[in-house]
Amino acid sequence: MVNGYIARSLTEALKIRAEKDVVPYAGGTDLMVENRKDVEYLFINKVPELKKISVDDEYVRIGAGVTFTEALENNDVPELMKEAVSRIAAPAIRNAGTFGGNLGNGSAKADSVLIEFVTDSKLCLASEKGERIVDVDKFYLGRKKLDLKSDELIKEILIPKKGIDNYSYEKVGGRNALAISRISFAGVFGTENGRIVKAAAAFGAVSDTVLRFKDIEEKLIGKTIDEAKAIKDEYLKAYAERMVLTRGRVSAEYRKSVCMNLLKEFLSKNGI
Amino acid sequence: MEKISQSVVKKDHAPKISGRSIYVADYPSEGVLCGKILHSKVARARIKGVDVPELPEGYFYVDARDVPGDNNVNIVLDDTPVFCRETVEYIGEPIAMICGPDPAKVEEIRDACIVNYEELEPVLDFRSADEKFFDYNFGHGDVDKAFKEADKVYEEEFETGYQEQGYLETQGMMAEPEEGGRMFVHGSAQCAYYIHGAVKRVLGCDSDGVHILQDVTGGGFGGKEAFPSILGCEVAVAARKCNKPVRCVFDRREDMEYTSKRHPSLCHYKAAVKDGRVTALDIDVKFNAGAYSTLSAVVLQRGIIASPGIYNVPNVRVHGWAVKTNTTPCGAYRGFGGPQTFFAIEMLMDHIAADLGKDSLEFKEAHLVKEGDVTSTNGKYHFPVPVKDMIEEIDKACDYRKKRAEYKKPQSGRYRRGIGMSMYFHGAGFTGSGERDLIKAVAKLRKYKDGRVEVLASNGEIGQGVRTTFPKIVANELDIPLDRVFYDHPDTARVPDSGPTVASRSLMVVGELLRRAAIKLKEQWADGEEQEVEERFKEPDFLIPFYLDKFEGDAYPTYAWAVNAIELEIDTYTGRAKVLGAYGNFDVGTPADYNIVLGQMEGGFLQGIGYASIEKMEYDNKGRIRNNSYSDYLMPTTKDVPNLKCMLHVEKYPEGPYGAKGAGELPLVGATSAYLEAVEQALGGVKLNHAPFTAEDTLAVIEKEGV
Repeated sequence: MVNGYIARSLTEALKIRAEKDVVPYAGGTDLMVENRKDVEYLFINKVPELKKISVDDEYVRIGAGVTFTEALENNDVPELMKEAVSRIAAPAIRNAGTFGGNLGNGSAKADSVLIEFVTDSKLCLASEKGERIVDVDKFYLGRKKLDLKSDELIKEILIPKKGIDNYSYEKVGGRNALAISRISFAGVFGTENGRIVKAAAAFGAVSDTVLRFKDIEEKLIGKTIDEAKAIKDEYLKAYAERMVLTRGRVSAEYRKSVCMNLLKEFLSKNGI
Repeated sequence: MEKISQSVVKKDHAPKISGRSIYVADYPSEGVLCGKILHSKVARARIKGVDVPELPEGYFYVDARDVPGDNNVNIVLDDTPVFCRETVEYIGEPIAMICGPDPAKVEEIRDACIVNYEELEPVLDFRSADEKFFDYNFGHGDVDKAFKEADKVYEEEFETGYQEQGYLETQGMMAEPEEGGRMFVHGSAQCAYYIHGAVKRVLGCDSDGVHILQDVTGGGFGGKEAFPSILGCEVAVAARKCNKPVRCVFDRREDMEYTSKRHPSLCHYKAAVKDGRVTALDIDVKFNAGAYSTLSAVVLQRGIIASPGIYNVPNVRVHGWAVKTNTTPCGAYRGFGGPQTFFAIEMLMDHIAADLGKDSLEFKEAHLVKEGDVTSTNGKYHFPVPVKDMIEEIDKACDYRKKRAEYKKPQSGRYRRGIGMSMYFHGAGFTGSGERDLIKAVAKLRKYKDGRVEVLASNGEIGQGVRTTFPKIVANELDIPLDRVFYDHPDTARVPDSGPTVASRSLMVVGELLRRAAIKLKEQWADGEEQEVEERFKEPDFLIPFYLDKFEGDAYPTYAWAVNAIELEIDTYTGRAKVLGAYGNFDVGTPADYNIVLGQMEGGFLQGIGYASIEKMEYDNKGRIRNNSYSDYLMPTTKDVPNLKCMLHVEKYPEGPYGAKGAGELPLVGATSAYLEAVEQALGGVKLNHAPFTAEDTLAVIEKEGV
């Protein structure tokens, strides 16, 4: 027996969220498997405000209730996000699974979340009191720990429009479909006037949260490709030191080897 | 294509595809008690007692003390208890069953039971385990002399892991006391009469005191050969005590952790080579049987008989042993011992060839057995061996030789390619004299007044199509429409014992009995009358009698043959392998239905590729199986091998219906070595010797060898 509330508008959803002890339920692809006893759900899959994809000057805004299939069929969703989302599970799950759910589940294996990390996306969180915008990396406080208050819902994901066209994406799953990521990698690279302006690298499924080391990325910023080549070893060494990974269905050593291989490939693809 | 091979819609297609089939879990719950098993949480312990919470009215605690007859399940030996004796021998062993009307309450009571264990040191290391359940030796020729005279001696150990059958429907059985004291047991199973024999012994009744029905069964793959006998006994004992119907359906976690799977193996091979030919093999095959012997004897027999592969080696010595460990008992899984030893011999031949500077295929071809040659047990290959032709067909299908030569050249870059080939047989039907001495199959046809004909046999539909192919054979001989012939799920109260649904035997052995019965019925056919005909198994005249004590004679009347090629591409950054093409050429004689057989070949071949690559299951240092869900134990999907091409080569077996041979198990048996040969080539000619060979294993080799 499933108990819960079906919200028809964001206002109604936020009111229930504030007044009751409820678990937000969008696509249910994680929650159905968990099959928790004695919880009440707030069904938000019929909330129109959460189903929108829009574009403003700076961001592509994806509603938390947008399914992966809907994103794949949309022309505004960036290619990098589409590539990651297209590799999630199988069509039936992509038809139900949502961006908000992928975030809310709190897993470092969430394929869309990796892309939000590497693109410096922001999240719009809503409550009856108003809205606030947080950086995605600040939203994740630790393993399964989120900066989401008990009266808040994830409303939108704000992906920067510019500077993410030159990307790398790799998913290493246990098989080609219906596979949870064992290692995932996304990189975004950019130069202006011959100097590197962006060298973002994010690693998913290898630690409690998605990993990104902005201080190491900084080493390359402002450098020419030749200058970057000169400090490549130092840069890779810094990653190797910082990359303390957890074991899961595969060993930590394997994960680290693959992460370093993919990072090197990302550099060499960009001439470094 | 022969008429019999022309595909029809399977008789069980509509009810299954529309969701109307009733599986054991689907019967209404009203008046039925739910049974849940109290499993041991430790690998080995003396049970000092169980503190059972006070049971509400209508709830029962059932254990060994409630067994009316013998607390041993008859499988091959009788060492498996229904409920544990004084000790438990593996994590998951059934201590008791809690029964009651409300499943949640039953679970609550079960979880509140406190088992007082006096823990004993378990044997978990399979490598050092030495308590033998079975120990066999056989061979021929003068092995020692051949090794003395050898130019070169090779020695290598091969290891394989568990494999989980992964049927969609978990294990489930139900027992219902009937009027007059008879017990009715039914559920998801392959072998109604095995359960019949086991339950009557446990209940201490005669053959009429119990009857077994195979319900619609959601896959078996061997996993429902022996285990339903155990679970069937448990629910029967519980139903006897509660005097009410009791049903026990496993959840996926229980099923994966506590029911039988493929035996892990360690195969040690020594080969003598003289003048470029293998002159002797000295083979040691060790299987991890788990805590009880269940089917290990027969799995091991099939494994060691196949251990020299399909090569003519004049001097062979084989030692096979199945050892006890305090882990879940292993059992039957499609291939039944063959996948382990064929993996070993195929890799060994490949490695010797590489050392001699020859290509694997050329080297193997030079050693192939042919019609008239002696088998490993001094039997005879009585019929043509079509492997050479099958190799040519595979070569044509995938350009094998050209690709093999191409990928042998040094490769660079992130992605590297390889292609590999395996060749093997699967002995059709029971090993040795089992059909003649133990099974003695009987099959019947009953014709009703309206002219419809019913097949009476005990072979269960488990997806392999017997509900369709048996009637096809009968309809074909009687020359009547297929919809006039039907075959229901077997109930031992009304069908004869035509043997178990195992060993790729049903179609070949029982199908032939039915064909002969149909001929007989046609001769006697009288319109408007009810008629019945019976046919009994008769051993073919040509067979050299098999003696199990010496492993001498024809272990099988004939063989199904296969050649597999697998082409893949390794991502050297991640270790992942992408299968570019998997090509299987299978000779199962005349297909009784082309689509059914091809479906069997594709499914089995894919299972074999899973066994080779991603299906990894292990137990931890407490003896607990860790991979107990489908997110922790991955099996390949069609997306992993989209280019899967199977073809049928037909070498007819005169004693099988229209020339059919055993089919079901063949496609799984040889994928592993074809896959690993391809991985070896992609990695620049390394030598690999264990399966599954995962992405992680591949990356480790890349780093170690500097590929």
